[in-house]
Amino acid sequence: MSAWLDAGRGWRLLAAGLLFCLNGLAGAAALSPRASTEQVEAELLAAFPTVTPGQEILLGVRQKIIPHWHTYWKNPGDSGEATKIDWQLPEGVTAGAIQWPAPRRFTLGPVTNYGYADEVMLLVPLQVAATAQPGQRLPIRASVDWLVCEETCIPQRVELGLSLPVVAPGSAIGPANPLIQAARLALPTSSPWPLRLDRVGDALQLRIKAPELAAPAVRELWFYPSEWGRVAHDAAQPARFADGELILSLQPGEAPLVAGEALDGVLVITEEQPGGTTRRSFEMAPTLAIASADGHGQETGAWSAMLLALLGGIVLNLMPCVFPVLSIKALSLIRHAGQAPGKLRRQGLAYTAGVLVSFAALGGLLIGIKLGGGSIGWGFQYQSPVFVLLVAYLMFAVGLNLSGLFVVGAGAVGLGSSLAAREGSLGSFFTGVLATVVATPCTAPFMGAAVGFALGQPTLQLLAVFLSLGLGLALPYLLLCLWPGLQRLLPRPGVWMEHLKQGLAFPMYGAAIWLVWVLAQQAGINAVAVALGGMLAIAFAVWLFGLTRQGGRLARHGGAWFASLALAGALLGGYFGIEARSAEVGASRSIRQSWEPYSAKRLAELRAGGRPVLINLTASWCISCLVNEKVALSSTAVGEALRAGGITYLKGDWTNQDPEIGRLLAEFGRSGVPLYVYYPAGAKAVPIVLPQILTPEIVLAALAPGNSTSLH
Amino acid sequence: MLLRTIARISLLGLSASLLPVSALAVANIDQPAPPFSAQSADGNTVNLAAYRGKTVVLEWTNHECPYVRKHYESGNIPQLQKEAAARGIVWLQVISSAPGKQGHVDGATALKVNATRDARPAGIILDPEGKIARLYGAQTTPHIFIINPAGELVYKGGIDSVASSKKEDLATAENYVRLAFADISAQRRIAQASTRPYGCTIKYAD
Repeated sequence: MSAWLDAGRGWRLLAAGLLFCLNGLAGAAALSPRASTEQVEAELLAAFPTVTPGQEILLGVRQKIIPHWHTYWKNPGDSGEATKIDWQLPEGVTAGAIQWPAPRRFTLGPVTNYGYADEVMLLVPLQVAATAQPGQRLPIRASVDWLVCEETCIPQRVELGLSLPVVAPGSAIGPANPLIQAARLALPTSSPWPLRLDRVGDALQLRIKAPELAAPAVRELWFYPSEWGRVAHDAAQPARFADGELILSLQPGEAPLVAGEALDGVLVITEEQPGGTTRRSFEMAPTLAIASADGHGQETGAWSAMLLALLGGIVLNLMPCVFPVLSIKALSLIRHAGQAPGKLRRQGLAYTAGVLVSFAALGGLLIGIKLGGGSIGWGFQYQSPVFVLLVAYLMFAVGLNLSGLFVVGAGAVGLGSSLAAREGSLGSFFTGVLATVVATPCTAPFMGAAVGFALGQPTLQLLAVFLSLGLGLALPYLLLCLWPGLQRLLPRPGVWMEHLKQGLAFPMYGAAIWLVWVLAQQAGINAVAVALGGMLAIAFAVWLFGLTRQGGRLARHGGAWFASLALAGALLGGYFGIEARSAEVGASRSIRQSWEPYSAKRLAELRAGGRPVLINLTASWCISCLVNEKVALSSTAVGEALRAGGITYLKGDWTNQDPEIGRLLAEFGRSGVPLYVYYPAGAKAVPIVLPQILTPEIVLAALAPGNSTSLH
Repeated sequence: MLLRTIARISLLGLSASLLPVSALAVANIDQPAPPFSAQSADGNTVNLAAYRGKTVVLEWTNHECPYVRKHYESGNIPQLQKEAAARGIVWLQVISSAPGKQGHVDGATALKVNATRDARPAGIILDPEGKIARLYGAQTTPHIFIINPAGELVYKGGIDSVASSKKEDLATAENYVRLAFADISAQRRIAQASTRPYGCTIKYAD
């Protein structure tokens, strides 16, 4: 009010008001396109001095920063804050997102930031309203917030304004602004190279098929992740070249990627050239390979597949179904600790040969069936209930032998086990065979991909992978035989050996029980009765046989005859009792709980509707499948996530061979269970393969809503 | 012994199957929080182990940092400190600014600064060499770490979800620390246990 009393002040106010009105008429705010702080000079620029209705024009906010200070990129790194621009625009005019030039790194102690020093141009596309009237002006206001840091940080804000004349379409729009043009050309371009991102151990491996980057002129390579925490901002990024590929190793940060997610970022290549250094930048968003969550790539090369198979074979030695067999052999080894090293070496080699021959046979069988077009995979022999029954009998008989019910090498009763327990090289050979037979269902986590790879390969490579697997299985025992130092550590023989041998019978009985349980899943409850009856007959036969060995000639022959009869009864009864029943039981297995049985038709139906689907391919003889279900898939948290996400849970049971499931496995390069696949919502969403070892966290992360959007 | 032999065979297999494990030794969620003992502003020694049985909050601070000022001038952090005290949670400020750098203070000044900004932490830890900051991988001020009564790290990250130095953003931000307090009281796992910290870079010694 007092202003009106002061004439001079009043005039000034009036003049200001008039100016405001004039500007208002012109449609522009009286704001300068330039503003400065102590550290930063900012300027708002337009690509052209005029605009036409409906046109898209590039604007730029240019920051000139005093030496040693910097502002930040869209991912500022460990600290800092990205520059923000708030636009105030007339109706119908919209501004897009900032197009960020490639940043630089700033490191202060353990903190690494991504940003800009000296000068930067932040480009923003502006869509001019189609209704803009030629002859008028387009007012543009921008509130720009940034954080500028040297060692201390200062948040700053400036207001910038620009008023551009609107001209009719087709008329001259004036000269292009060279600064904006240059900035546009310097923006990161999208990567022209094929990319692959895998998890290798703890690191991420980015492979860029760019032979041209091998030039010695490349001085530095750095991948800047667009989002915080995807990659550790400060970690070194060692790069190497192999087979025309640039391989960049990245450390995951605090917010690591989940398989199937994309690593969005910019690769900056600093090149040494005669005229100085140049920086080229490429936008890329490689998706973390789905199989890589297992710790290896999807396309395992021939050598790495063989290496994996070798490791898988070694791990097989630790499997409960292999260890007891190995122990039998270890026992016999101790018994012969005194014998010549040459003999032991031969035994070790014989065992290895036994394993290798079995694996070669298995591989050959696989090749045969593969060529025959059957859809089969690892553990396929365990899909036959009769086979399971025979192995259960074998385990039981080995147990009886260990318990001392009958004597080793006393004829054909012990079947494979008697062959295995036979002393000398032949016994070692058959121990190898036995170890192979019992090892097959124990699919160690990384074996899936190795076998999957082998199935998709020519015959020779398939065999090589199988032999590697066998070599891995045989290796520990072979080393024990070849390494005299280890043998010297073996204890002296004694009564304890007999006790230990008897004790080792119990794991065998345990294995038999487990197999009978598998059988129950495959062929129903009646099969259990058949199996147990058969075991009774075997026990009787073995007892009778052992008992009559001490008697006269007649007793021995009579005993052998009766024992053979009982054994034949067990085997034939088992065969007919189970084969006949397994077919009907397979059909009558009931649907329970929250899951539906898998069928290709049901999956196609759900996918066509864009519904999210979780698939679990399992088998009752697959221990890791059961553990995963127990620990992760049946957990309440996962159950809730499934309900909350409206996710249909399909379970495919591969306990009995099912070609439909075999086809799905093949689709994902696998030949055995477990396989877990999540199809996010959206008919075109890319399926995510979960690791073979699950925790609730892994499943929840995979099912998280962020993953349910289509990735492409 | 046979058992030894079997153990050797197992070891052979195991060593082959073991893949390289994480080499990072910084504070990780659900892992024991790195122990430390340091000088406090009132001249005493603060030992983290002495707080076993209580929830402990470590707040990295620098009173001259605009982000810290946002949270003190708005009353946000003082309020959280009061809430912590009411819940029996021990709130410790940590000052890791190196001598000669922004935010570096002696004990008396640290106490005086807190008096002027209504701060009520249970203690102020002076870490001018940045040892504790490096131990925890602290990067910004503020940067919050929460340790449970068993001595395990249960939270690390920002104070809230909107990375800005503007007080008006507090209204729309998700206050991670208050959410963590609620989860702790309800004996739940902290839902967002690792978040993005934001603020000024800790002024480490050169």
